[in-house]
Amino acid sequence: MPRRGWIVLVGLAVLIALPALLGSYLVTVFILVFFYGYLGQAWNILAGYGGQLSAGHAAFLGVGAYTATLLAMHAGLSPWLGMFAGAGAAGLLGALIGALAFRFGVRGFYFVLLTVGFAEVCRIVALNTDAVGGALGLYITFTGDPRQLQFRDNRAYYYVALGLMVLATAVTGLVERSRLGTYLRALREDEDAAEALGVDTFRVKLLAIVLSAALTGLGGAFYANYLFSLQPNAVFGIPLSVDIIIRPVVGGAGTIWGPLLGSLILSPLAELSRTYFASGGLAGTHLVVYGFLLIAVVLLLPRGAYPELVRLWGRMTAKGR
Amino acid sequence: MHAATPDRPISRRALVASVAAGAAAVALPAVLRAQAPAVKIGVIHCVTGPLAEPGQACRVGAQMAADAINAAGGIKSLGGAKLDLLLGDTQSKPEVARPEAERLANAGAQLFMGTFSSGDTAAIVPVAQQRRIPFLVDISAADPITANVAKAVRDGQQKVQYVYRNFPTSAMFGRRAVQLMGEIFKEAGVSPKRVVLMYANDLFGQTQARSFQTAHKAANPAWDIVEVIPWPEPPADLSTEVSKLKAAKPDIIAPVTRPASALLLLPEIARQRVECMGIIGPGSPGLYEARQIAQLKDQLEFVMDNVPWPNFKNPKTREVAGEYQRRTNGKTFDTNSVFSYDGMLLLADVLERAGKAGLKLDRFDPDLVVEEIRKTRWSGNLATSAGPVVFNETGDNPNASTAMIQILGQKPVVVWPAEAAVEKVVLPRPKR
Amino acid sequence: MDLTLVAQGLLNGLLGGGVYSLMAVGLTLIFGVMRVVNVAHGDMMVWGMYLAWLLATRLSVDPYLGFVVCAAALFVLGWLVQRGLVDRVVEAPHETQILLMLGVGLVLENLALMVFGPDPQRVRSPLAQATLWLGPVFVDLARLVTFGLALGLTLALYLFLTRTGLGRAMRATADNAYGALVVGTDVRRVYAAAFGIGAACVGAAGALVSPILPFQPSGGLAASVTSFNIVIIGGMGSFGGAFVGGLLVSVAESLGAIFLAPAMKELVSFSLLIAILLFRPAGLFGRRA
Repeated sequence: MPRRGWIVLVGLAVLIALPALLGSYLVTVFILVFFYGYLGQAWNILAGYGGQLSAGHAAFLGVGAYTATLLAMHAGLSPWLGMFAGAGAAGLLGALIGALAFRFGVRGFYFVLLTVGFAEVCRIVALNTDAVGGALGLYITFTGDPRQLQFRDNRAYYYVALGLMVLATAVTGLVERSRLGTYLRALREDEDAAEALGVDTFRVKLLAIVLSAALTGLGGAFYANYLFSLQPNAVFGIPLSVDIIIRPVVGGAGTIWGPLLGSLILSPLAELSRTYFASGGLAGTHLVVYGFLLIAVVLLLPRGAYPELVRLWGRMTAKGR
Repeated sequence: MHAATPDRPISRRALVASVAAGAAAVALPAVLRAQAPAVKIGVIHCVTGPLAEPGQACRVGAQMAADAINAAGGIKSLGGAKLDLLLGDTQSKPEVARPEAERLANAGAQLFMGTFSSGDTAAIVPVAQQRRIPFLVDISAADPITANVAKAVRDGQQKVQYVYRNFPTSAMFGRRAVQLMGEIFKEAGVSPKRVVLMYANDLFGQTQARSFQTAHKAANPAWDIVEVIPWPEPPADLSTEVSKLKAAKPDIIAPVTRPASALLLLPEIARQRVECMGIIGPGSPGLYEARQIAQLKDQLEFVMDNVPWPNFKNPKTREVAGEYQRRTNGKTFDTNSVFSYDGMLLLADVLERAGKAGLKLDRFDPDLVVEEIRKTRWSGNLATSAGPVVFNETGDNPNASTAMIQILGQKPVVVWPAEAAVEKVVLPRPKR
Repeated sequence: MDLTLVAQGLLNGLLGGGVYSLMAVGLTLIFGVMRVVNVAHGDMMVWGMYLAWLLATRLSVDPYLGFVVCAAALFVLGWLVQRGLVDRVVEAPHETQILLMLGVGLVLENLALMVFGPDPQRVRSPLAQATLWLGPVFVDLARLVTFGLALGLTLALYLFLTRTGLGRAMRATADNAYGALVVGTDVRRVYAAAFGIGAACVGAAGALVSPILPFQPSGGLAASVTSFNIVIIGGMGSFGGAFVGGLLVSVAESLGAIFLAPAMKELVSFSLLIAILLFRPAGLFGRRA
């Protein structure tokens, strides 16, 4: 097995063993690291590799979450199955957005705003539809029953989140090596040139958005049964979409380790700034600190942590010759 | 030397090591805490984000109560143990609320209080249930929060209910609003027929509006809700909504606002010269705070609001209100602050009784605390209520109640029910 | 069908359009010249509002006069942000720039929270309640004045871009940054000026709108979203577009509030946005990219 493969396996083994060493709070931090890493990775497929920046990915998570939860509430369907329904629903939404956007040639920043527009429409519709709970939203009963994707022990959530992260990374890895990946990279570089060379850019982009959306929607059931409530403003809102994008961007969009790396950097930063700055004095201090840290990270690593680290490694190893 | 390749993840080990170091640093504060006998209470509110204003009011209320209890000697039955507050911020986001609760639990929190925002509260419920930490919800509008836990215990999926709420449910708000309105109409000798309901289309506004409509249908009084006008919160412009209001020819305007929308709504009503007998809120913020009065001045005069309110007939309340005003640079002691204040006093009462029943600090038995919570029959609260604080099968306090306040002389005063009234109600409001 | 209501709604919408376009003008300048998406736009506007509030409460300066000071202060902020931060990532991928401005927005929002507290504020101005009645309909004079000022500002910016050296340099850089560099334009200075002027517009907008709109530190997001909507609908980089876009969105929302379920009012502007993005992404007045 290539050296890289060994390193990945060792890393995975460490992550699997970690809960035995960490207290409950740190396990929670890692749950979020993995979950956001997973969401970022799903986003990465469309936006990092494909270059189609989406700022409305919360819509896919929200649709997945609401679908799985409504099925659990009204049809008694276990969220383990419901999550696939959620993925399907999110995929459909992705197909809709993609079909419209790409058929009409919406690109670049316009595509970003289109995704925001669709996410906001989802939010407003959910807010005003009593059947899905309206502004009050849906409240999930905490039972701790594993058949309902709920656990009494945080460690179980940790492994589910880790599983989602591994799945997303595996899918990304497959995409990276496949023809789809090649086409995506080509059209990210220069869409018109790719089109001229015979790539069916419409089909490629549509595939990417459906895959990205479905993968995101899969996590909806986890989200619902980890946070126990779904409100339109929280789960379809722009702040959540922003939280989804910042990790892969900080870590390096378009790279397979970017989202996880970004998540490993940012989640502890957020926790640390809240721990040290949120308890006394003026409310808001910790977010000012976090904002400055974010700016610093962006300035230090404009292309993302992973590409910069690779560059650094390259320079270090080159010196050794 | 191996040639570097672009996709070799070299620093994975280093990364894990540095994260572990960072994690250790995070765990450090717990070790450095004072060693005097204390009960650690995790106090979590949304002190930043869109709900920062009420969240901060809650936090101050809780802190003041804890200071008062500690100054009076702490929990006597636990050897004078002080209340040690561990503060948390949910940033008005459920995905932050949960790790905050975990962090405080990790730092030794034995009780939780919070959070004001229903979504954040719901995210903390499983932590409270999982870690067996009694959780007193000081304010949260969503009824399902406690109801779901009670149901899970009834169905056998959870052993003990750790979540309790000392705040009126939204159903209670609606019933009281309709009831008090009817009584006030009788008292003032007026018989309005047309009521227009307007509300902020967010979680609180929608819930209040729905419960008002439900209560109205059930009570079937002589007046009708002739028009319902929601607006997106926060609004940029309410001129069209108020034009619609005017076209509906209201006798009574019933608004459910937030502070920002109230700042737009009331001037617009004045500007468009919408005539009516009175403005009576079924229960919402924005219509009584000191800063709102300072901004809206006489546009807020004679406006009524059906809210859980501090009982100013109690001299202790007046004292605390004065101190709150000093501590917050002029804010009124109102709904949010009083319920957090009461929440802390309630926890102290529970702890006193638990101490007498055998609770030990070094072997903290949450189930014993829960037993005492369920047995609560406490009248030391500063909020107006229909009786002592008790908890029913759902974990709510059925005696948590509201009063009708009115802005008279640029101050909010209770005008109904008669036993709590400080002044007489003015209805219809005088023409300008 | 209550005609008075419809007429009033139309009038409200038109006047409200002035407020909206004022908010959007600064954004369209920054994007038009630099292709940088200022996602901290709304947070900068909130600071403009708070500065106006400070001037009104501490120095008794009416916001309709004080907006000049707010504009100047925000100009400095914009210049510094561009020179110190945005300049370093001009070559970086789009997502990095967005992330940077997100950080700036986060800092601005929470600094405002720390300094001013969370309570919603509104600036008192004698003009705020002034109303002119034309029979059964009324005209909100404060909004009328803001409408006029928005028009004036748009005109002033247009003149600046077409008649002054710096303005022409900005347009040249917007059209072709490399070409402008080749002919000796100090592109960095142009960018800093553009960002500064864009921020100044936003600061002025905030000040002029502060008697009309209640504001709180967390209000930046909604302001940003509205402004982006308007700029897209009107056309990125076009001032006329920002103006007309503001009118269109405001009228659509107002009429939507009358004819549709009022809470769907927001749906109207997003539906418009999606329609424009699909069928005419350059916006009503934008140049085809």
